[in-house]
Amino acid sequence: MSRVLALCFLLLAAVIGFLHIDSRPAWAPFAINAVTSVEEVDVPAPSPSKNQSIPSKASIPSPISTWLPDTGAASVHAASLITLKDGAIRAFWFAGSREGAADVVINSAVFDPKSSNWSVPSVVMDRVSAEKGLSRYIAKLGNPVPARMADGRLQLFFVTVSIGGWAGSSISSVISDDEGLTWSNPQRLISSPLINLSTLVKSPAISFADGRLGLPAYHEWIGRFGEFLRIDAGQVINKHRMSSGRSAIQPLVFVNDAQDATAYFRQTRSAGQAKQVPVSQTQNAGQSWQSEADLPIANPNAAVAGLQLNNGARILVLNNLETARYRLVLMMADAKSGQWQTIEVLEDDEALPADQRKEFSYPYLVSVDGNDAHLVYTWDRKKIRHRYFSGAWLKRAQSQLDTPPVDVISQEAK
Amino acid sequence: MNHLMQTLALVETSITCAAVITLLLQKTTPQEFPLIAKVFLILLISNLFFWPLGLGMELPLSAYVRGVIGDLSVVTTLLLWTSLLSVRKFAPLAFKFAVACIAIAFYPLALGFGMIDPYAWGYGSTLFFIAVLLFAVVCGLANWNKGVWIIAIAILAWAAHWHESANLWDYLLDPFLALWALIDLFGVLYRKRREKAQSGYLFRPG
Repeated sequence: MSRVLALCFLLLAAVIGFLHIDSRPAWAPFAINAVTSVEEVDVPAPSPSKNQSIPSKASIPSPISTWLPDTGAASVHAASLITLKDGAIRAFWFAGSREGAADVVINSAVFDPKSSNWSVPSVVMDRVSAEKGLSRYIAKLGNPVPARMADGRLQLFFVTVSIGGWAGSSISSVISDDEGLTWSNPQRLISSPLINLSTLVKSPAISFADGRLGLPAYHEWIGRFGEFLRIDAGQVINKHRMSSGRSAIQPLVFVNDAQDATAYFRQTRSAGQAKQVPVSQTQNAGQSWQSEADLPIANPNAAVAGLQLNNGARILVLNNLETARYRLVLMMADAKSGQWQTIEVLEDDEALPADQRKEFSYPYLVSVDGNDAHLVYTWDRKKIRHRYFSGAWLKRAQSQLDTPPVDVISQEAK
Repeated sequence: MNHLMQTLALVETSITCAAVITLLLQKTTPQEFPLIAKVFLILLISNLFFWPLGLGMELPLSAYVRGVIGDLSVVTTLLLWTSLLSVRKFAPLAFKFAVACIAIAFYPLALGFGMIDPYAWGYGSTLFFIAVLLFAVVCGLANWNKGVWIIAIAILAWAAHWHESANLWDYLLDPFLALWALIDLFGVLYRKRREKAQSGYLFRPG
């Protein structure tokens, strides 16, 4: 009798379980941003500036360079950006006495493009708020990554660590109804079966056609590999592996069409293996990924940032070196050739002795109108630098790309 | 909703901590605690874990435990809690063997060995769900009704989004259940081998 009762209860659970599976949203194609057709116009070049490789004329302003506001913290890192509805840019970064310290907080400030000034920074999340909201002990915070939800709200993903180093990270998120002025309580994203350890986020999310977010994440404990998380508000509702093994983290996704996307990774390969940008490709909107040949651009185990412009051109910001992060460059590939060329050397300490070279790392790109680009990156772990490239400047740079640029790329990889 | 989920998770962790401590205390005495003593211990210890104690701590004790071990699966939690009622039959050997085999195959793949990720099946794979139901039916046919009830409750908890996870695996299996199954299984095998050795079968005349 007791067995019959147990099996009847299981039958009830089975029916509810099947209904639950049936109610879950199916996988969706990628959302495609409308690509505006930009007519070929004779755009004058930007004015000359230091380290600039593009010929320029006076009517196109040089890229603007500012610094994110100083909070007095000794160490800052992992800045990210999002466009606000009024055209301003909100930045997030973490700051504290040192990376991983208990006093690290996630800061935010807004850049007004009219005045080219940053607002006074505010604290979005500190360790104590995170642990009270998540009802669990949190030792440190890191890697804020903002996204725009389909309903217009802002969602900020960030990582928390309870025990150990960054390999013990989990992702949490907060949501804002007022463009980042106030935030909800944090919610934990569960994405790993081993005490939810070791899932991190660095690169921007992309949108699915059904309005949900696709978040490129990565593991860096037992394995170092990318994963593509499908997010519904504050929870992971599906995921697929983007790479395997211990060689590629921090995936950056470029959407080619509704089904097709390419991911570039930061390489974490062991000595003796190619120090280039690993690549994966999907042809079913992220449900399966295949490794492709490396992008022949040197990568010193450092993050890569990227952006697709409305005219189809793509830009990357990375350290095109096999070791160290003392040089940071802006590269561009136009839609036709797909070949990458350096269009601006942003930072370069090569001339300095090795012990005096600074680190330029963790770039992050965003565009306001699909033609321009805002860039932030860590400057020697002490400051966050912001650069702005206008649409006209990028257009001019694109028009000057060499047609057979293969040599340029192969030189970068050497 | 999120606040309620967090509070319930802390309650669950507090009771689980109390259950573990009570079971450990039980191990120190040859006589089984009476039910009233167990209830008293559970109430006392779980309250100690649930409420903030101050003493320089920002959070209740259960939040520190949760920070380290996360949320245990519903299967582990119910096995632990029900073991307080009867320590004689925690779970049958065949169940431990099955859990150990599944864990050995599951964790390496789920943690990045290759491109197949069985953990992703837990987000809504019908085939995986049918496999779980078949496992529960086998438990019933093997006359372990407690297993059927526990798996059914785990499925209901998943459907109700009881924990933060939307993945069925997180309601069925966790590393602590896997470790317990593996250690207990090796313990049983070791004991059987020792009993055989002590029975002197090796020296029996042929």
